[in-house]
Formats: sequence, C-alpha cells, structure tokens
Amino acid sequence: MAGKTPSLFWRLTTAISLGLLLGAGILAYAAYNYAHTAADDAYDRLLLGAASQIGETIRVEDQVITTDIPVSAFETLSVSRRERVYYRVVGPDGTSLTGYDDLEVPQNLLRTGPSPKVWDATFKGYPVRIAAISHYVSDPAATGWATILVAQTRDARNALARELTLRAMALVGIMSVIALVGVVLATRYALRPLHRIEQALGSRDPNDLTPLDISAPVEIEGLTQSINHFMERLSGRMDSLQSMIADAAHQIRTPITALTAQVELLKRETVPAKRRHHLARVVARTAQIGRLVSQLLSHAMVSHRAQSITASPIDLVELVNKAVADAIPAAMDRDISVEMNAGPAPVLIEGDPISLREAIRNIIENAVHHGAKTKITVGIEARESHVVLVIGDDGPGIPAQQWPDVTRRFFRASTEGVGSGLGLAIAADVAKNHGARLEFAHGDNDMFLVRMIFLRADGAPS
Amino acid sequence: MKRGILACLLMLLSWPATAGTSYEFKALGAEIGHLKIEASGDIEAIEPLIRDFQELEPTLSITYVDSLTNDLYRMLEEACATGAIVADLVFSSSADHMVKLANDGCAQPHASPETARVPPFANWHDEVFGFSFEPAVIVYNRNLVPPADVPRSRDQMVDLLRNKAAAYDTRIGTYDIARSGIGYLFGFFDAQQSSAFGRMMEGFGRAHARLYCCTGELLRDIESGKILIGYNLLGSYAYGRFKAGAPIGIVLPRDYTLVLSRAAFVPAHAANPQAGKKFLDYLLSLRGQKMAAEKSFFFAYGQAAPEGVDAAEPGLQSGIYRPIPLGPALLAVTDRHKKARLLKEWNQSFQAQ
Repeated sequence: MAGKTPSLFWRLTTAISLGLLLGAGILAYAAYNYAHTAADDAYDRLLLGAASQIGETIRVEDQVITTDIPVSAFETLSVSRRERVYYRVVGPDGTSLTGYDDLEVPQNLLRTGPSPKVWDATFKGYPVRIAAISHYVSDPAATGWATILVAQTRDARNALARELTLRAMALVGIMSVIALVGVVLATRYALRPLHRIEQALGSRDPNDLTPLDISAPVEIEGLTQSINHFMERLSGRMDSLQSMIADAAHQIRTPITALTAQVELLKRETVPAKRRHHLARVVARTAQIGRLVSQLLSHAMVSHRAQSITASPIDLVELVNKAVADAIPAAMDRDISVEMNAGPAPVLIEGDPISLREAIRNIIENAVHHGAKTKITVGIEARESHVVLVIGDDGPGIPAQQWPDVTRRFFRASTEGVGSGLGLAIAADVAKNHGARLEFAHGDNDMFLVRMIFLRADGAPS
Repeated sequence: MKRGILACLLMLLSWPATAGTSYEFKALGAEIGHLKIEASGDIEAIEPLIRDFQELEPTLSITYVDSLTNDLYRMLEEACATGAIVADLVFSSSADHMVKLANDGCAQPHASPETARVPPFANWHDEVFGFSFEPAVIVYNRNLVPPADVPRSRDQMVDLLRNKAAAYDTRIGTYDIARSGIGYLFGFFDAQQSSAFGRMMEGFGRAHARLYCCTGELLRDIESGKILIGYNLLGSYAYGRFKAGAPIGIVLPRDYTLVLSRAAFVPAHAANPQAGKKFLDYLLSLRGQKMAAEKSFFFAYGQAAPEGVDAAEPGLQSGIYRPIPLGPALLAVTDRHKKARLLKEWNQSFQAQ
C-alpha cells in the first residue's frame, strides 16, 4: 500500500468529532449568552418590582415628599440571600430623599418619564445592576417625576447564569458523547462489508479467480465489481498466457525434433553432397525456428501491449514507412520489389505504434514468404471516416474459403513452406485491439490484397 | 470642605460617647497576639465568653470596648469610610446597623465549619453572623403584680391597661425608640407583625408609660417597684437579673415573640482579622453556644426556654419565635424616611391622650 493512509474509521471519527466539538463550542457560547440574558431578565424583574413597590409609597405629607420603604421590597430582593442591595429616591427637583445619596443617577435619566430602565454599574467597589423607575408626583408642593433607583450586586445572577450554562453544557456534553459513541458504532457497522470483502479475499486460494459472491451496499458495489472485473481480466490473461505457453512449447518442440533429426542425419552422412544438402536443411530449419520464436515473442508482446498500453495519436504514413523499411531486406533476398503508394501528408489514427508496426511488418513478411512473385504494393487510402491500409502482392493469394481461418494462431494455409502460422494472427489481433478490421480481397491485375481498415482519429465518429 | 468640618464637629461632639468602656483581658500564657473587640453588649454577659475563649487561645490578649449601639454605628461607619482600623471583631444588638455596614462593604467574608452550622436567618452573605438568641420579653415585678394581671400576649396587655387603667398609670415602661437602637428595632418589627401593637402603644400612651434608654435602667425600676411591667426587654439581661434573685417574672408573649440575634462581623480593615475570626468561630461553636446559654444569654437557638420563664409549651415555642432575619430587609429599618415615620407614629400614639 502506498504511504500511510489513516483508516476510514479514524477519518470518520475524527471528522465527526471535530464537527461535534465545533457544535459544542457554538452551543456553549449560545448557552452562556442565553443564560446571562435569562438570569438578567429574571433578576431585573425583581429589581423593577422592588423599585415600583417603593415608588407606590411616595406621597406628599406636610408639603414634603416622603416614602414608606416597604420591607417587602427588600424581602423580594433577599430571595437570593447573597446580594447587597442599594436604593435611592430622588425628588423631582433632583434632591436625594432617602437611601444611598451617592448612588449615581445618569443625568439623562432624571425625570425622563415612566419608562423603567436597567443598567450595569459599579457601586462601593461592587459590580451592580441598577433599575430605575420614575413616579409622577402631582402636588402643589412638588410636581414632576421622582426617580427610584434600586441596585443589586451581580453574585446571584452570575451564579444563576453559571449554573444554567453548566447544565446546558452538561447536556451538550452528554449529547456529544452519545453522538460520538453512535458514530463509532455506525462507522464500524458501515465498514463491516469492507471487512467481509477483506476476509473473503484474504482467505481465498491464490489460484481462485472466480468472482466474489458477496452482497455489498450500493456504495461499495462498485468496488466489488471492480475487484471482480479485475479478477476476470486477470483470469483471462492467465488463461491466454497458459495457452500461449502450451502452444509455444508445442510449436517449438516439433521443429526442434525435426532439427534434431536433421542433425542426426548430418552426423551419420558421409557423402559430401548429401551432407551439404542436410546442412542446408539444418540452416533453413534453424532460421525457421528463429522466426517462430521471434514471432511468438512478437505475439506475446502484442497481446501484452494491447492490455497495458493506452492509445496515442500516430501518423500511419510514417509508421508504414518504417515497417516497409523493416521488411525490405527479406524482400530483396527474394528479388521482390516493394512499392509505397502514399502521399507525404500525415494520416492520423489512434493506436499503439509498436504493435501496429509489428502487425504491418508481419503482413508484408507474410507476402514476401508466401505470396509475392515480383512485387508488393503498400498503399494508404484516407477516406471520410476511415483509413484503409492496403498491402497487395502478385502471388496466388489465399483461397477465399481459408480466409476465416488464416487469422487463427498456428493455422497454415499449406503444409509446406516456412511459415509459423502466426503472422496474420498477430496482424488480426492488433487490428482487433485497434478497433480495426482485417480483410482479404482479390484486386485488379491479379493482385491479392490485405486491408486493415481503421477509424480515423481526426475524422467523424464511425 | 464644609462636610469635613461637619464631620469633625460631629466627632468632637460624640467623642465622650464613642470612647465606650474598655476592658482588658491579659493573655493567659505568653502573649503572641492581640484581639480588639468593639461591641455593644454588657460586660457581665460577654466576660464569661472571653474568659472561656482564652482557655482555647491562651496567647491572645483581648481588649473589649462596650459602647451604645448608635455610637458604635457612627464610629464604625466613619472608620469604614476612611479605611481606619478600629477592631478585629465588632458586634451589636442593633442587627440593622451591622447589616447596613456589611451591605456597604465594611465587613470581610468568613466561612468555616462553624459558620456552616449557622441557621440561614442568622447569616448574611457569610459576613454578618447572629451568634445569640435573645427573645424580647415582658418583665413584671413578682411582688407587686397579681398573677391574674400578668399579660401573656399583647391583647392581654391592652385589656389589662383598659381594665385596670388606674393601677398601672405611669407604671408601665418600655424603650424610647428615639434613643434606643434595640427599642427601635423591636418597635419596627412589632409594627410589621401585628395590629395589636398599635393599640398597645395607644394604651401605653394613655397609661403615661415611662420611656427608657436602656434595658438596665428598666430592670432596675421594675425590681424597685417604681414601675410594674416592662415591655420588649432583652430576655438575656432580664434572665440574668432573675437568676441573681431579683423579684421579677419573665413572660415570652404567646402571640409572637421577637428574637434578636446579636450580629457580629470581622471589619474589612482589621489589624488581626484571624483573631477576630477565631473569636467569631468560638461564638458560633457548640462550646461557645453552650457557654452563652449557661452564663451569658440563657436562651439558645433550638432549645427550650430556661427554667422559671413563663412561656408556651416547649413544642410550640419554635412556632411563636419570630427571629429578626439578618438580610436586606433590615435596610428598610435604617431608612431615614421610615425611621422618621415610625417615630412620628410613635409620638402620636403617646401624645394622643
């Protein structure tokens, strides 16, 4: 396996844990704000209640504004016994009537009317919350808004806010733990099919390439299909490799046996003329074996490349020129001319250049060894949607009834000759791998034609 | 500036009073520390507690200064405002003064296993603690008041004054709430508790009741027969006299009995706050409470009234007791409008006749 990839389980758990942590953080902040507001709301109501209780007692007696501070006003506030309480009553003229004279009233608040106000301040070194209400006094002696201030230290409301926050956080914590446990269990449950596949593959015999028979959820069905597809291909390649090895062994054994027999004859022959004859046979047989081995390798290479090399755009003209150049030495040996009929303009097709060159070389060599009497022609015809490579020779050609068979491996059109029976098979395989067709035809001037018909790389779709 | 001069004048005027009466208690062993107590409490009640405390802390020498509640309050308020160091522990029977001072930040918090046992009504903010349990009682002269006349509730007092007006004219006594801190505190809560109190005050007015500054003088005049019945006396002092053989009877009113808890705190500015806290812990401890019940205050939280006191069945007493809670409600007691109003009503009752 490449590198150290964190397990799916840890990926999921980490990602979801981070999400939960973020969520818990946001919730904690929200809970703190909410708790603070709620605590302030609750205690502000008490403060305002106390203030209005005091306000209700304001009256004018003997030309003097006076109050009758009710004990209940402070008892309301002493619901929380931990608070310090301060109060002050200010007359319409701004003079302090009773209470803490140094409890400050913001100037803009004095005599502003009946709307109650609550704000934070510091008094005697303690952070306090102050509530103010106004009470209208209408008496000839004094007319206007009297202000009643009641202040309370923040201990109880802070304690309440803290408790509310902690409780909310406890709930968030419990929920997070439940969610995390749920995630762990769900992840394990969800990953179980993967474990099953792992076990099925792990416990399998190395030679067993039959498809996995495991029901998998939709999400990993693709994975099992890929595994099965891969195994199918592997199985196919193993099969073809095995049959190729078997074929190769068989094909090579026969000429080697023949060669051994020739060499045996040569060893015993004393007549010089016959010795020469036998020697020539040995040489010919050796060359045949050499070509057979070369073609076997070529075939193996072609089938390997078909499965492993992706197609790239190639110029057929250039490719054919190279293949013709490859074949020319053999042709010259047999006094056969090779003609190339193609313009200089590149003709592009999709494919693997090495396989194609091998295929074209094999067709030409096949013509050289089995057909052509005097000449071979190679032509490229670029049509609208196709490119046709035509290789012709002036030999007798292949009888039409053998056309379907000549592309099979090790099929020999005649029992004589030096063919390996692989040349056209290679060409046919390559054609098939390129989505092309291999055709045979009798052309003008008694020419036997082999055509490879490709789809154009730059042309319209087929 | 003007204010400063005024403060100086006030200080000069109140100087002889604020000095209080000072008592020195030498350390039993080698002196290592000193504890200064500024308070309002008779030395006879406090001395046994100080002596017992010194058994536990033999290296402490102790100065105890006894002042009138109003003088003590003025002195502490002044000290708190200026940050002056006056004492390591203060206590007063005027619980309203103590709570007001603590509310203004003049006390420092103290929490210990001893303070944890204090009932909620006697703990304000872990700063002010009530360490005594002193009911407000009716005291009468046993030799001169016929048993049938002894009032056991405020209604009975009203009836008595109506039915035997001549016999009790000028022979009823109570606090002058204008001069006595305890009198005002009891008067305030009496006014809160019952309407019978108003009628009783009118009855007192009609009977030309005598007004006193202090419990001691009241008791003396009852013992001597100058007056026959006293109302709202501190049960602790009265029982002390009763135990000493004075010819008096003590009644816990059966309609309700106000209970004062002497309030103590360690000042925010103190020279030896640890010593103050140690003595406070001692006062609240089982040992201190037991000593107080035996020698100082005779009544205790959760205990039946002592021998010889005319009270309801022990099982009923806890329902009749109305402890004055240490809390913000006491702030209303110190309110100047409130005080002026109560004094006005009081005077009207007394002058109505």
